[in-house]
Amino acid sequence: MITDIVVVLGSALFYSATVFLVAAGLQVVYGVQKVVNLACGSFFVLGAYTGSTFVKVAQDLGLHPILSFLPLIVAGFSLFFVGLIVERGLLNFVYKQNAHFQFLLTFAIALMLDDVIKFIWGHAPRVVSGVYTAYGRIDLFGAAIPGYNLVVILSSCIIAVLIGYMFSRTRFGKIVRAAAENRYMANALGVNMNVVFAKVFTMGTVLGTLGGALVIPSRAAMPDMGWELMMMSFAVITIGGLGTMKGAFFGSLLVGIIRSIAIFTFPKVELLVVYVVVIGVLSFRPQGLFVKMD
Amino acid sequence: MQKAAILNASDVSKFYKEFCALDGVTLEIRQGEIASIIGPNGAGKTTLINVLTGLLRPTAGKVYFKGQDISGIGPQKITKLGLARSFQLLHIFPEFTALEFVKIAIISRQGKGIHLFSSIDKDKEVKEESEEILHMFGLYEKRDVLSKNLPQGDKKLLDIASALALHPEIILLDEPTSGVSTSEKNRIMEILLSASERTGIKSIVLVEHDMDIVFSFSHRIIAIHHGKVLADSTPAELEKNDEVVCTVMGQKECFKTFSSLLSGSREGSKRK
Amino acid sequence: MAFKAQLTGKIMFGIVVGVILFLFPKIASQHFSLVMLGFFASAIAVLGFNLLFGYTGLLSIGHSLFFAVGAYTVAFSMRSSIFSMELILLITLLVSGLIAALVGAICVRYTDIHFSILTFAFAMLLYSFIVKFYYVTGGDDGLRVLMPHLLGFNHSAVPKMQFLMETYYYYALIVACLATWAMWRIVTSYFGLSLKAIRDNPVKAEYLGINISRYRWFAFIISGMYTALGGALLVPVIGHVDPTLSHWFQSGQFILMTVLGGFTYFLGPILGSLVFTYLQDTLMSVFQYWRFFFGALLAFVVIVAPGGIMGGIDSLQKKKKGGV
Repeated sequence: MITDIVVVLGSALFYSATVFLVAAGLQVVYGVQKVVNLACGSFFVLGAYTGSTFVKVAQDLGLHPILSFLPLIVAGFSLFFVGLIVERGLLNFVYKQNAHFQFLLTFAIALMLDDVIKFIWGHAPRVVSGVYTAYGRIDLFGAAIPGYNLVVILSSCIIAVLIGYMFSRTRFGKIVRAAAENRYMANALGVNMNVVFAKVFTMGTVLGTLGGALVIPSRAAMPDMGWELMMMSFAVITIGGLGTMKGAFFGSLLVGIIRSIAIFTFPKVELLVVYVVVIGVLSFRPQGLFVKMD
Repeated sequence: MQKAAILNASDVSKFYKEFCALDGVTLEIRQGEIASIIGPNGAGKTTLINVLTGLLRPTAGKVYFKGQDISGIGPQKITKLGLARSFQLLHIFPEFTALEFVKIAIISRQGKGIHLFSSIDKDKEVKEESEEILHMFGLYEKRDVLSKNLPQGDKKLLDIASALALHPEIILLDEPTSGVSTSEKNRIMEILLSASERTGIKSIVLVEHDMDIVFSFSHRIIAIHHGKVLADSTPAELEKNDEVVCTVMGQKECFKTFSSLLSGSREGSKRK
Repeated sequence: MAFKAQLTGKIMFGIVVGVILFLFPKIASQHFSLVMLGFFASAIAVLGFNLLFGYTGLLSIGHSLFFAVGAYTVAFSMRSSIFSMELILLITLLVSGLIAALVGAICVRYTDIHFSILTFAFAMLLYSFIVKFYYVTGGDDGLRVLMPHLLGFNHSAVPKMQFLMETYYYYALIVACLATWAMWRIVTSYFGLSLKAIRDNPVKAEYLGINISRYRWFAFIISGMYTALGGALLVPVIGHVDPTLSHWFQSGQFILMTVLGGFTYFLGPILGSLVFTYLQDTLMSVFQYWRFFFGALLAFVVIVAPGGIMGGIDSLQKKKKGGV
């Protein structure tokens, strides 16, 4: 019994860690720019493919498998320029338009990115071998938890703490919070909103690409891997509440656990089960579990 | 002789977390009267209107319309019961022509909104009534102009006209003359009163800042401050209430200034 | 009178278009006539989509749900030995109406982002079900669908191409015309004006006594039925159904067609679907990464010309008249 719980928790937390990164990216962008980024799934896939390439290169150069997560992290961060190009080159022009159009633009970006990925890497799935097993397995209450899962969970937690620290203690974090509350006021007080928007969107992008890169050792990179994660991320921000980091964190935990339990008990319908919960939350607390109503 | 109360608030309070927007407000609007609600900005007037019109649910207390508890039932239901409201901040349908704006109100009143295949253009009855209402408000020539292209004052009039087109029993107007030039204000009030008479409205509630208008047109004045009712009396009684006058007007020599305003406009009192 | 001249001009234009559509299979190549069939189906689908988006202000990014429902209804009906196309279309309307009523009841209670996310979720949920429950649905490979009977006639003896060019073309054209006429009646009705009021200012609409949730729900149902009808009409042409019909990329196509044509105009989506269908046909044979192009096109329209093609025509006309 305990073994089962640990197994379920192990896979749940791993999934939660991944979803958290993407959802955090969504929240940060929504909080400041009030845009839901439909291209988050594509950033995830981009991160995954880039990660696979970086690891291959690193392996060819003789990097020890256990250090493989380093090229993955580098891959995730190196894609920051994509976020910058997307934000300055495209999103920048639609902030003054109504929300539907901003949303549609992110949709268009997702379409474009999907084909860019196919153009660079083709349709076939890409597998990175040897990394997952290099971390071995850890025995916990009779369950064998893959070591790599723990690495990812740990990384995600560290990132969550860093984000929390950034928002509450650093000057940049305060500026971002001010801009999120009232961008016009912040602008009037001398904050350059263009810079803030660019930085925030880039941050959101990197969170997504990191999520994709970190996931790579455990599964193949495929063109179609993005949308399911996108749906789960949307579920997270809906359950947790739009724009809150706490919502992203606890929402991811909840979604990961629900999903794992569903896979364990009624496989194939885990997506449905998560969304039944989403609808449940929307019915009773439409603003999300972690957002206060005025 | 007390006329029947048509709309009343009973010990209504509205809290936003710790902030108290309304504190134990009790008031009555009776049939056949024009009541004005006055108070400085932030006193809670619009919140009061929102609660009285069912948009907001009071944290405590209840609101009754024609004896029925309407606390927080929502604007759609209360409109069907016979209450209409206009807005302080502009609330229009930008892509509608002035004619369509009034038509939709009439259509909704007649319960035809759900008809899927009947063409509006063919409905002569609705067209005639809409044109009549536009005439009343002096907007007939602009009937084919898109609402978003109308001048500010006309937009306000359109908002009020569409509310009147619902043939409500009581209408609540949130600052109907704000944002309009002084010369226009009286015109709007005159139009409002004659239109109300023609459409059979029984009571009017005004939220107003312009004391000339308030004192000329109201049967009763309700003064609100910090979410509380400071006074609820006839204009004559109110001018004697220094506290209210000074709080609401906020002037040092308020009594003198105020009294001269009052004697000046009482000559041409327009209320019935 | 200028108005009468305008009206006559529009009628003349309509007649010309009508004649062209009627004669098309005779004058154009087989290939292009086939593309027209795709146009008819998607035109009906986006008319439905835009009732919700352009007229009611609700952006559904999961309308592919209904497209797939319509298509798979045809497939399952044929498998259940229901061959009459008229009956199949009726079943499609009923099934899609029911599903739209259920899905809509959940979705219309929320606006903007939550509404869009929920529609997306429902479409992808269907997609994943179709893929996962492959023993019923044929999974990724889909199901083959033979030609249904039109007006009681069994055409299986006729070579498919010929059938499509002659009989099915006019069948689809008539269905499309009827659907368009019906939609026109709907948007110019009292209901249509109420929807526009809800779109422009939901609070004011409520204060006029309009029950915005209920009207949105009705609009959702009609919208879903139209898109399903489009999906159903397309199936005999392509001869099979597969899960990509429910994929969000299909939803994206509907959005692109609508915005490209001009979502604030009745004919906008129809024009958009015509342009898109031909563009897609041309590009697909030339360019492997045509999705990128469509993404770029959508981005372009959103940033530069949100009024779409018809919006562009309108502003050109205004400039000619010397207006604003």
